[in-house]
Amino acid sequence: MQKLGDFKLPHFFNYPPYFTLQPVRDTREKQIQVQLWKELILDYCKTQKIFVIGLEEEFPLFTNHVIERSLTHEARATFLSALVSEGRAEWMDKGHRKCLILWHRIQDWADILIQFAKDNGLEDGVVTIEEIRSGTESQGTELHGIDRTILNRALKLLEQKGKLVVFKGASTDDEGVKFSL
Amino acid sequence: MRRRPGIGGLQTHAAARDQFRLLGENVAKIRTDLMKEQLATFRSQLEDFARKHKNDIRKNPAFRSQFHEMCAKVGVDPLASNKGFWAELLGIGDFYYELGVQIVDICLATRAHNGGLINLQELCHLLRQRRKSDRGVVSEDDCLRAISKLKVLGSGFEVISVGKKKLVRSVPTELNKDHNEILELAQAQGFVTVDEVERRLSWSSGRAVDALDTLLDEGLAMIDDGHRDGKRRYWFPCVSPISSLVGVDS
Repeated sequence: MQKLGDFKLPHFFNYPPYFTLQPVRDTREKQIQVQLWKELILDYCKTQKIFVIGLEEEFPLFTNHVIERSLTHEARATFLSALVSEGRAEWMDKGHRKCLILWHRIQDWADILIQFAKDNGLEDGVVTIEEIRSGTESQGTELHGIDRTILNRALKLLEQKGKLVVFKGASTDDEGVKFSL
Repeated sequence: MRRRPGIGGLQTHAAARDQFRLLGENVAKIRTDLMKEQLATFRSQLEDFARKHKNDIRKNPAFRSQFHEMCAKVGVDPLASNKGFWAELLGIGDFYYELGVQIVDICLATRAHNGGLINLQELCHLLRQRRKSDRGVVSEDDCLRAISKLKVLGSGFEVISVGKKKLVRSVPTELNKDHNEILELAQAQGFVTVDEVERRLSWSSGRAVDALDTLLDEGLAMIDDGHRDGKRRYWFPCVSPISSLVGVDS
């Protein structure tokens, strides 16, 4: 099985026609859905902790050098749009050039944050944003290295539910969170 | 018999003919009876044989295949019903029933990839993978027998020949001769181009495109526009080797 670094690539990745957007509707659906491109993109991003995909950039999944095939811009846009319509991704710009990948949905991230607070005795505590993203407590958890946009969205969601309050410090580094679980 | 003149002669002749006819019928009946008796003997000997070699039949596909041939000659079908002597003795009904179920499973699982047409070799390979080593070897002959039993399910389970290979069809798609020839051509590299089809089969462009479009619509072909020579390739998952398979990791 071919690998991208540590990541095991599925068999279909080596079959040239999967790199061409299929014209027949049923075939195209199978190409995108059903554990093919959609799942592959989500899985890969999850294991590699990739949060943003730039359509015009060198994203490893868009090209298979072994079989010399590359996804056209249209194909990339189509696959990512499929993720967007299922709430597993969001376009970050009007031109659809950058895509935020939600391999965990915002709600899932919110749940992970709550669990993090409980695990670290922070039900009533205070922690900085940076500590959440790169502190010792977050090491080994999914929160480590989380994208700022996503984190902010999850925090906002929890704030609306009254689970925490976000406060700004003197500088960006001082932004913090007070939990009230 | 010499004919005597006159009415008497005619009557004798008729009587003689009747007698010959009766004799003929008797002989025929004796022959049939004899044959029936021989057949019955043969059948009971076959049953003895089956009893004695039950394990071999279960475990050895070559043996199993020859056993089936012997049965066929005698007009016995061990798979005809799931009850009765044969099923109980050999559990063979179960064996093929189980095989049939697994074959249907595999065909369904791979349908998204190959459009409902799968290479017999590949099917057997996947079958063996799924069964691992605890049930004895499964041969292509076994697969074919199980599939012939599946035909009663209707919905198009059938084995078709394309060139030297056999493909198992699990969808009601009708393949005509043109489609068949394209599939055979595709066996070499897994794909064809319109040019190649026109050239190798001496077809008009229209004919080639029509046939390929149908195969595309039926989900049996996928297009590939990514080669640097810019030529569109039509790939056929059903003729491609196992390593390009998707979705059947067991």
